Amino acid sequence: MWIVEYRELIKILTISDLKVKYQSSVLGFAWSLLNPLLMMLVLYLVFNNVFKNNQNHFALYLLIGIISWRFLSIGTSASMMAIVGKPSLVTKIYIPRQVLVMSTVLSSFISSILEFLVLVPLLIILGAGVSPYILIFPLIHIIYFMIVYGISLILAALYVYYRDLNQIWDVLIQIGFFLSPIVYPLTTVPPQYLMYYMLNPITALMQMYRDVLLYHQPPALADVALTLAAALILMAAGTLVFKRLERRFAEEI
Amino acid sequence: MPLPFADVNIGLDKLNQVVGGKYRNTDTNGNAIVVEGISKRFRIPKEKKLTVFEHLVGLLGSGAASYDDFLALQDVSFTVKHGETFGVIGPNGCGKSTLLKVLAGVLYPDRGSVKINGKIAPFLELGVGFQPELSARDNVYLYGAIMGLTHKDVDQRYDEIMDFSELKRFENMKLRNFSSGMYVRLAFATAIQTNPDVMLVDEVLSVGDESFQKKCGEKIDEIRKAGKTILLVSHSLATVSKLCSRCLLMNHGGMVALGETEEVLADYERMRAASK
Repeated sequence: MWIVEYRELIKILTISDLKVKYQSSVLGFAWSLLNPLLMMLVLYLVFNNVFKNNQNHFALYLLIGIISWRFLSIGTSASMMAIVGKPSLVTKIYIPRQVLVMSTVLSSFISSILEFLVLVPLLIILGAGVSPYILIFPLIHIIYFMIVYGISLILAALYVYYRDLNQIWDVLIQIGFFLSPIVYPLTTVPPQYLMYYMLNPITALMQMYRDVLLYHQPPALADVALTLAAALILMAAGTLVFKRLERRFAEEI
Repeated sequence: MPLPFADVNIGLDKLNQVVGGKYRNTDTNGNAIVVEGISKRFRIPKEKKLTVFEHLVGLLGSGAASYDDFLALQDVSFTVKHGETFGVIGPNGCGKSTLLKVLAGVLYPDRGSVKINGKIAPFLELGVGFQPELSARDNVYLYGAIMGLTHKDVDQRYDEIMDFSELKRFENMKLRNFSSGMYVRLAFATAIQTNPDVMLVDEVLSVGDESFQKKCGEKIDEIRKAGKTILLVSHSLATVSKLCSRCLLMNHGGMVALGETEEVLADYERMRAASK
């Protein structure tokens, strides 16, 4: 299995990716935390005052949505470049190319965990508190990791052939941001569309994060089942597409 | 008992399980490398399409193919026995490097199959993945990881690597301050420590100064005598005639001659004389 065999390379690439991310600016790590906080502040001011809503702890509700969304948007955008960004490892030597995608997703995964860690004191300060259900968080985050990894495999492989995919993906990510319950409560979705709306696995994921972090209740089993199914399907599809497109990577890169 | 080469005509799906780094323990009937009728076709686009937009526009245009074909390998077959040193020679552009890349698993052949028995170390280029901003020490670990070694593996071999490359004094220096000779020495010393069963070598012997070249030559000789298999791609006919027992001569992607080194070298001379 390539993950076991090349674990050392995955580790080294992940760490160097994190180093580049956090050392390239003075504030480094602080920026990656300030960014979601500032965004939360802006969205809070807009959506709490302009659109009236009765969501409890709206600031925390927003922040959980934003932080979890960041893993998808940053993770997939960075992983899209994973193959193209390391041409010598593709054309000059053989390594399992999934290693490159895996390590960029892992790096975003670790960043995301750090962002969630900063959320915990905020939960206490803003009066929501924490409960033992927070222990389910790692499980949810691993399911999310599988989803992001599956999508990233497809994007990284396609990007080798279609270099404007990042522009298209940026737009899709923008649309996705508003199609997921990040800035508004789920109750604002018209009931007749709710069934289609819930098909988005990211919606279910956000529900689960809010269940264990904000509402202090176990996640709904239906949500777990839906996200897990989505994760497995995306991983399988990603592997399939990647394997097929990988054959001409060395020629196209 | 399985028939020799019973699964020659395997489909592409089966093939891809063989090619792509999963060579280990594939049944090769006692041979180290079995290459069966591989062909590789490159597409040379008339105009490079790299975006979705360009592909969409291309669909609207005429139905003519937007690329030319270039056959880099045509029906190449050969076997290399365990412990043999096998040479591949031919003029520039004959497909030697493409062959080596297919063997290494970097390129997929369009047809045919490649089987390699044992752990392979491709020496297509030394120092792939080296990062100039890291110290020599970190680069040894990085390069080792690229070659599939674990941290512990490199720990055990670290002193030997530094001894062989004669760079112990510089282990904490950033790689960007290294001379190209030091760079290559470090890469060679690390790569050789992967302890491969099959080595694919592309003219890397011509690196470093004379004394280091000699040292590399000796090391490769040592590996050869230890019963490892070496496939050597070279322009230097002297090296080939010194090291290799058998040779493959290629031209325009096809096989011209395959056999004892002396005979193949004679064929090469005749071919060169004829083309003049």
